[in-house]
Amino acid sequence: MSVLPFPSFLDDVKEKGLKKAVFELVDESVERLTAGMNIADLREAIRGEPASRKPNPRLQPHADGFWLHMRPSYFHADMTGLYPTFRLGWLSTYLVFFETITGILLMVWYTPSPEVAYANMLNILSNVPMGQFVRDLHRLGAEAMVLIVSLHMVRTYFTGSYKKPRQFTWFTGLILLAITGFLSFSGYLLPWDQLALWAVTIGASMIEATPPQIVGDNLNLLVRGGPDIAANGLLRFYLLHVLALPALLFVFTGVHYYKVIVHGHSLPPKKENIGEDTAKRVPLDKRVYFIPDVLTSEIMWIAVTTLVLTVLCIWFYDAPLEHHADPQVTPLGTTAPWYFLWIQGALKLGDKVFWGIIFPGLILGLLAVWPYLDVTPSRRYAHRRFAISFFLGLISFVTILSYMGLAKFGVATSPDSEIMHELTFPPAHSHVGKLLPVPYEQLVTGMYTTRQSEGDDADVSSIVNAFNEELNLAYSGTIVSPGGTAATLGAGIQDVLSSQHLEVSSINFRSVPSDAPELKKVLDFMAEEIHHNDDYLVNGWGAIVISQNQSNLKRVDLIISWDEVELENGQPVLDANGQPVIATDADGNPIRRFNTSHVFIHEDALYFSH
Amino acid sequence: MFERMLIGRIENRVTVGLVSFVLIMVFLGWAAINEGGRMQAFQVMEEARSIEQGAMSFAANCTSCHGLDGRGLAGKGPALNNPQFFGHDFFPEITRQISTLNTEKTLITTERNDAATTDARKAEIDARITEIDSEIATLNADREAQIPDLIAKGYDPARFNRLTNLGWVGTRDSFVLTTLIHGRPVSVNYWPQPMAAWSQTAGGPLRMDQLEDITAYIINWDKGDEWTLDDLYAVQQFALEPVDGAPLEEQIRILQESGGVLPEKVGTNVQEIVANLAEFTGDPVRGDALYHGGQTSQFGNTLACSGCHIQATNGTGPMTDGTLTRASTERLNESQFAGYTAEQYLIESIVNPAAYIVPGYSNVMLATFGDQLSYQDLADLLAYLETTG
Repeated sequence: MSVLPFPSFLDDVKEKGLKKAVFELVDESVERLTAGMNIADLREAIRGEPASRKPNPRLQPHADGFWLHMRPSYFHADMTGLYPTFRLGWLSTYLVFFETITGILLMVWYTPSPEVAYANMLNILSNVPMGQFVRDLHRLGAEAMVLIVSLHMVRTYFTGSYKKPRQFTWFTGLILLAITGFLSFSGYLLPWDQLALWAVTIGASMIEATPPQIVGDNLNLLVRGGPDIAANGLLRFYLLHVLALPALLFVFTGVHYYKVIVHGHSLPPKKENIGEDTAKRVPLDKRVYFIPDVLTSEIMWIAVTTLVLTVLCIWFYDAPLEHHADPQVTPLGTTAPWYFLWIQGALKLGDKVFWGIIFPGLILGLLAVWPYLDVTPSRRYAHRRFAISFFLGLISFVTILSYMGLAKFGVATSPDSEIMHELTFPPAHSHVGKLLPVPYEQLVTGMYTTRQSEGDDADVSSIVNAFNEELNLAYSGTIVSPGGTAATLGAGIQDVLSSQHLEVSSINFRSVPSDAPELKKVLDFMAEEIHHNDDYLVNGWGAIVISQNQSNLKRVDLIISWDEVELENGQPVLDANGQPVIATDADGNPIRRFNTSHVFIHEDALYFSH
Repeated sequence: MFERMLIGRIENRVTVGLVSFVLIMVFLGWAAINEGGRMQAFQVMEEARSIEQGAMSFAANCTSCHGLDGRGLAGKGPALNNPQFFGHDFFPEITRQISTLNTEKTLITTERNDAATTDARKAEIDARITEIDSEIATLNADREAQIPDLIAKGYDPARFNRLTNLGWVGTRDSFVLTTLIHGRPVSVNYWPQPMAAWSQTAGGPLRMDQLEDITAYIINWDKGDEWTLDDLYAVQQFALEPVDGAPLEEQIRILQESGGVLPEKVGTNVQEIVANLAEFTGDPVRGDALYHGGQTSQFGNTLACSGCHIQATNGTGPMTDGTLTRASTERLNESQFAGYTAEQYLIESIVNPAAYIVPGYSNVMLATFGDQLSYQDLADLLAYLETTG
């Protein structure tokens, strides 16, 4: 007789006792959830024991469950080791989900508008618990995804796995690589900082080069949402990043994996006879079952990957956030993200249309059709000397182009501006201008000269005094300063500082106090850099002027002064002795130039903790 | 080797995965424990960097009027690095005493206006009010004697808080930011160069985040309780206030018309006004224009009496029509106006409106007209009021 008017758990309790009834209930629930495996089955599987009941319950989830119906129930033993797959495909897939989850968390705190996007970032970093951590994970995960997807492609090429019948799988993979690149790139703009704005501006300007001009112009408008990237552009990149590109990524991930399953994972080249594809014919003794072997392996790999990302993000990596985007201020040394550096490098070779559009298009196009061009049957390394050499050559070429894409390669910036930049640039990635990390208390108010770094420590006071005297002497050449009438170099300094809104009542240089070693290091660096460029910065010296601006805020002015030299294409003209030719004014006297730059440093800005 | 040892066997894989998972949880817990401190540190650092950015913008955009050190430029722009700007009172004890005296004065004045108060008590109160006034005057004089140079430079120690002086009810941050966004529309009247609108929203050059940085920088001048008189003496230019001053051009016009001598303000002493007013002949047409805001007073003030005193209906104040009749037939019959003429009553009502409040109305009329009217203005107004019957 049932306790309730229908058969219930209570009847079971009555009939079998509480313990047994509860166990059976849990066991049954587990079996339903796993679509076929009960607790005992799971236990056996995890312990590596053979299944104790028939039919094999470990095949059941593949037949009845949704998630595992996508996975084969067994793999070929020859491809379950680290080689040949290195688990790169699986890790790529994991990172797609990883990025989706961390991305959704960030979406909660983000508004795609230039008015508030940057403030949102600051809020995530300062006011959302674990906000910085999730942002770091998302950013590092994105970089890792680009890397791993690329490596996955490289591996597939080397093992010849793109060959018949897997040509189309390779093709969809290439599309996934491109989508991954664009996903990562479109995310670049969202923080709306200087890094974002200028990296994306460079990217968008490549699109603008697409021929013919009418197509390029309109593509450019379409992507930027206006002549310059502003509210419309940001919204477009946001929607690309969170909707369009992920949708495409999921679709092509589905197609790609479907093709992988249809054709089977290709075996290591030497395990097969030439021209044969035996991936789908797995002999009984070569079968490695998904449950438990492959499943535990996959879970282990994502646990390790997550652990690595977690450790990196907690202790070693912070996603960069530069100053608020400012279309008026072009930072020196802007580069594209590292995975697009090769295009930026190629652009330095010449024509924007060819190197910026056609050349990358050709490379991607060639890769896309490669399986249809390379129809040789053998996948063995020894038989593919040309294909492998070609690909190694391509990798080398892209690496060299990437190096050329760096800011330091082939961009003509005058050494004085370069030195200023080295000293004062705001935190970008893990770098920061050398001056900023000097501890606040070591920024002792006063004027300091690089002459101090050139002489012996013992002579410092006489060197500095001599410098002060030199500055007060009537100068015989022309001093190019904003005031334009300076008669002494000292007056020139005052002029230059005044143009930067700093009044200096008198010129009085002093030696760096002994308890300010970090300041001394900056001065030494400045002296060294000026010395390195002495064919341009002839008779050059640098000065650091530190003043108290507010009670907890100091202002640091940097000055570089030198004799102007004759230039040709931005390079100094050398005479027969290899010495630079000094430019002269109408009276045949040297022309003295100044460059200056300044920063403010607050007591709590903590640049030195970077 | 590595492969076989570590991950070739299922139990090793399970172990590696489990250890990784546990480590992730431990590290996350560690990060979570430190998260509060980290967020706080980030906030401090971010504010510091905002101030640095603001300093850059301030140096480039603001120093030509407000001075390199923010202490203002004489005749050009007011100081922001200024105790008055941050509302610091250097004489809190005197302020407290004056405030206590004023409270007492208000209380006994109310008592005096009470109909039940006896005449003896009224006389007592009058004596006390005189005493209080003189005590306040002494305190003020004491205070001013301590900083005579600053008084000459336009600093009023009784009005030590710029925001209170302006009647600003928001925060100091919002005051700065709002000023940066929209500029000061009327400042063209009392500065050689007006404070421009700096925000892109209002057609200026700077973005909101830049204005917020500049605000952070300006507010960073605040020394709280650590302001010294030296800071006050260092101020090159104190803020000017548009409320009392006539527009510059208007003042110049009046000066030219009067041959370089500004007309006298009527002030608030009714007896004196009545005596002096005899020399002037009122023009009811100009009085009408003054009354209805069509013309400004000789000091450039728009009076707009008709805003409250509507022509033929009682509004915030009694209606305009019949003013003179009501004064002579109703008010003058009351005991306290014994010996008053209708003219005297009207003058008192204009320059010292709180002296008597017509039953049914409240004390809302401004007491500033003595400062805004010349004798000619007053004569014209009275001439107009006579025409209203």
